[in-house]
Amino acid sequence: MSVDYFNSIIKPMLLGAQMTVLLFLIVIVLSIPLGFILTLAVRSRFKPLSWLTQIYIYVMRGTPLLLQLLFICFGLPMIPVIGDYLVLDRFVAACLGFILNYAAYFAEIFRGGLLAIDKGQYEASQVLGLNKWQTMTRIILPQMFRIALPAVANESVTLVKDTALLYAVAVPELLHYAQTAVNRDFTIVPFFIAGIIYLIMTLLLTVLFKWLERRFKFD
Amino acid sequence: MVLIEVSNLKKSYGKLDVLKQITFDVNKNDVIAVIGPSGSGKSTMLRSLVHLEEIDGGSICISGDYLVKDGIYSKPQEIKRITSKMGMVFQHFNLFPHLTVKENLELAPRLVKKELNAEIERRSTELLKKIGLSDRASAYPAKLSGGQKQRVAIARALMMNPEILLFDEPTSALDPELTGEVLQVMKQLAEEHMTMIVVTHEMGFAKEVANRVIFMDNGEIIESGLPTEIFTNPKFERTKAFLNRSLK
Ligand SMILES: Nc1ncnc2c1ncn2[C@@H]1O[C@H](COP(=O)(O)OP(=O)(O)O)[C@@H](O)[C@H]1O
Ligand SMILES: [Mg+2]
Repeated sequence: MSVDYFNSIIKPMLLGAQMTVLLFLIVIVLSIPLGFILTLAVRSRFKPLSWLTQIYIYVMRGTPLLLQLLFICFGLPMIPVIGDYLVLDRFVAACLGFILNYAAYFAEIFRGGLLAIDKGQYEASQVLGLNKWQTMTRIILPQMFRIALPAVANESVTLVKDTALLYAVAVPELLHYAQTAVNRDFTIVPFFIAGIIYLIMTLLLTVLFKWLERRFKFD
Repeated sequence: MVLIEVSNLKKSYGKLDVLKQITFDVNKNDVIAVIGPSGSGKSTMLRSLVHLEEIDGGSICISGDYLVKDGIYSKPQEIKRITSKMGMVFQHFNLFPHLTVKENLELAPRLVKKELNAEIERRSTELLKKIGLSDRASAYPAKLSGGQKQRVAIARALMMNPEILLFDEPTSALDPELTGEVLQVMKQLAEEHMTMIVVTHEMGFAKEVANRVIFMDNGEIIESGLPTEIFTNPKFERTKAFLNRSLK
């Protein structure tokens, strides 16, 4: 195998990897805050909101992400009357699907984080005179994010690998270019290259989260 | 001068009457030890004073202002102002684990009292010295022993300059060899005439430091008086039985 051949396939694959990274960043940046909002909605004292959110989370976690992506890309446009207005750009549709799905997972992670915080933290805050907002932002959330960090790290690594689902809705990403090269050139080298690129991405993420965990160890 | 007036305090959880007509006064500079068997309502009584529990009837008056009068609570803003006169030290410390010792001390004065940094730092330095932990200012609570944590919790409460300090079994979660250092700090506060209510199983402390002892059982104050009276000459059978059990 020549260096030239290697160069000729690595370029499109790196281009595909860009798509993967772009999707990853968009989904992480939007689904974490959305997930946190869902957590608050579940805990809302307004019961209908809490129930609806719980149903939403249950549906999102209880059905395959692939099904959700296919539904948004191909299902929505088939809805009578309004379907015509729901034809989204494939990448945009995919982002939407990922965000809606991952937000549900992050919501569960954050809910667990909140439950792990001792009620004594709220009581000490109250007796010291902190108001609800100060208690939430200064005492509860920092602890919640710290507790959630390992689970968020896990979920992020899963997201990197899940980006391969873009393949199914025909958004050209890393795996798409690998598969194309394999079919065209009758060689499995592109699969190995794809695997290595995924490994590099997950390794970087793992290192980043390990650093965050150490940085916020509080001892 | 009366700082706390509690009268006919009532509280129940469903059918369980946890506090039945609790009445007592606390004068300025009093150190009151509250003793009694587990489940007798000591914590509930103490927590009611700082509005961590809502009572069902009776009145609580803190240095002239009613927190709750005949079962009717004041407005939230008033409640906040009135309860801010009291500090509380919990059995399990409840330090903020994500903040250093110094940050634990300085957070509330900064956020709530909005005092000048220089004044806040002056006080935290002074209090750390007082509890003997100047060298641990930048440590996180996880790195401290139980006794050190509780001393920090006391300093954190003092940072708000409370008129009254409440303690709910401050040494019950500590290894026996660590209770002394906490009791020592409390004793020093008593000598400086801090007004304190201390729920405790430390009969030695109650005898030596308190100027009044309240014995509670089953949601009632059975008797209260000077430590010498209660410990050497209790009037009621229930008090005798409890003291016999706990002094053994
Ligand atoms: N949140 C609660 N719900 C129901 N019962 C409670 C609650 N908190 C306390 N109790 C009950 O109230 C009684 C008094 O409790 P507590 O004030 O903690 O007693 P003490 O501090 O003297 O041990 C106990 O019987 C306890 O089980
Ligand atoms: Mg108790």
